[in-house]
Amino acid sequence: MMSPRAMLTRAAPVLACLGLLAVWQLASLALNNDSFPTAIEAIRAIPSILGDKESLINILASLRRMAVGFSLAVALSIPLGLMMGRSRAVASFFNPLLMVIYPVPKAALMPIIMLWLGVGDIAKTLVIFLGVSLPVIYHSFEGAKAVEEKMLWSGAAMGLSAPQRLIRIVLPAALPEILTGCRTGLVLALITMITSEMIARQSGAGNILFNALDMGQYDTVFAMIIIVGAMGIGLDALFERMRARLVKWSEPQFDIPLSFS
Amino acid sequence: MTVLPSRSNVQAELKPARKPASAMIEIDHVSQMFQTSGRQNHLALSDISLTIEDGAFVSILGPSGCGKSTLLYIVGGFVSPTQGSAKMKGKVIVGPGPDRGPVFQEFALFPWKSVLGNVMYGPRQQRVRPADAEAQSRALIEMVGLKGFEDFYPKELSGGMKQRVALARTLAYHPAVLLMDEPFGALDAHTRTRLQNDLLNIWERDRKTVLFVTHSVEEAVFLSDKVVMMTRSPGRIRQIVDIDLPRPRRRTELLLDPRYQKYVVDIERMFDDGDETGLRP
Repeated sequence: MMSPRAMLTRAAPVLACLGLLAVWQLASLALNNDSFPTAIEAIRAIPSILGDKESLINILASLRRMAVGFSLAVALSIPLGLMMGRSRAVASFFNPLLMVIYPVPKAALMPIIMLWLGVGDIAKTLVIFLGVSLPVIYHSFEGAKAVEEKMLWSGAAMGLSAPQRLIRIVLPAALPEILTGCRTGLVLALITMITSEMIARQSGAGNILFNALDMGQYDTVFAMIIIVGAMGIGLDALFERMRARLVKWSEPQFDIPLSFS
Repeated sequence: MTVLPSRSNVQAELKPARKPASAMIEIDHVSQMFQTSGRQNHLALSDISLTIEDGAFVSILGPSGCGKSTLLYIVGGFVSPTQGSAKMKGKVIVGPGPDRGPVFQEFALFPWKSVLGNVMYGPRQQRVRPADAEAQSRALIEMVGLKGFEDFYPKELSGGMKQRVALARTLAYHPAVLLMDEPFGALDAHTRTRLQNDLLNIWERDRKTVLFVTHSVEEAVFLSDKVVMMTRSPGRIRQIVDIDLPRPRRRTELLLDPRYQKYVVDIERMFDDGDETGLRP
């Protein structure tokens, strides 16, 4: 049996959400504005969105682009970041490039990318890819840089070649830091997914949201915001669960709920 | 330097014929230059020549900053000397290899591997069959006194336990030479003493060649056949002292042994005489 204190700790994230909805409800009632529906009205609009086949296809298409963009970005960024972290030459070549790209909002590149690649899946996936890449590269780089030299020497003495050391020592040693980057990347994937669909208005969850906005269906707008938020929370919780399992060897002992997992 | 009375002929005849000592490591006129941040060259080691015989326990003793660890890294193949060369069994050392096993002050364990996983890492890299690697590793873990901790992660262990794992991990791939870089320097006095005793017990079994870097005079005398005293900045060999004390050595007996005490005092005096090269800051 859990102590009341432990129960409260576990329930805290849910209580925080309920609190937010309550504040929203009260604020909406107080302001009494058409473009600011109450929380209850927004929640009521959710089933009709998720029940509509076309909306559902749109949302799933968004998630697919996000998954492809995220996976490609992670698959390319981790090796690049690790190599940068272990090789001065690689780092000094890529670092200036990344410094230029990092502060640019990736969605701002959308119009140009649309010009080149059209408004289809490729353009939107590319933007997601760009959004995810930078934090993952950065954290992989930092993680690889921090790997203890003596650990690599120990591996070298056992007969590991330089590429083997990168994969079998630098990668696992930097994994906690890499996964921190991936977690940031996941949230950014969701953000760039929505913004790319906001600019390339053709399909997707972002498109539903902004169409509803155009037509003044504010309950649908807020319902979509809740859906996107819930997707973010769900994905993050899923990811956090996987992360905690992968790096349980490095976790400090504390049990503040940082996510919903 | 001899403090022992010469052995009687009878004793010498009774001893089993020892095979002639052959050179395991030869350090030949090694100098090491480092570039510091101010673009100045810092001479860390100056013209070091040293031969380490097969099966010998040799300590390199000196104040911090005398380049003694650098010398060990050169033998390990982790650092290339600016001048001169180091040889292992007559071959010039060009890089690290499993014939020379390092044990570092920082332990340098793989934190994502359990104790067993760490110890098995070397054998698995050498393609020993998993079942055999595991059996050997478990035996080694027991030998270093960590039976029951096989599935622990390094972060769950104390410093002394981590260094035991590091020693077992290195012994697991059977290096001909153990390179120990102030291995007990980060441990408290009590743990340090226990690990020194255990290291000697383990060493007595197969008498591997050991190169042991330390700044503790007592530790060097207690463990070694030979103590190489170094000076600071640039690091040079000041004197080599043969420690002619019987083995197996028992710490409690040795502490009362006037010969042991004389070695310690003599070495400390020599460092004190050497003005700024003294052990104490």
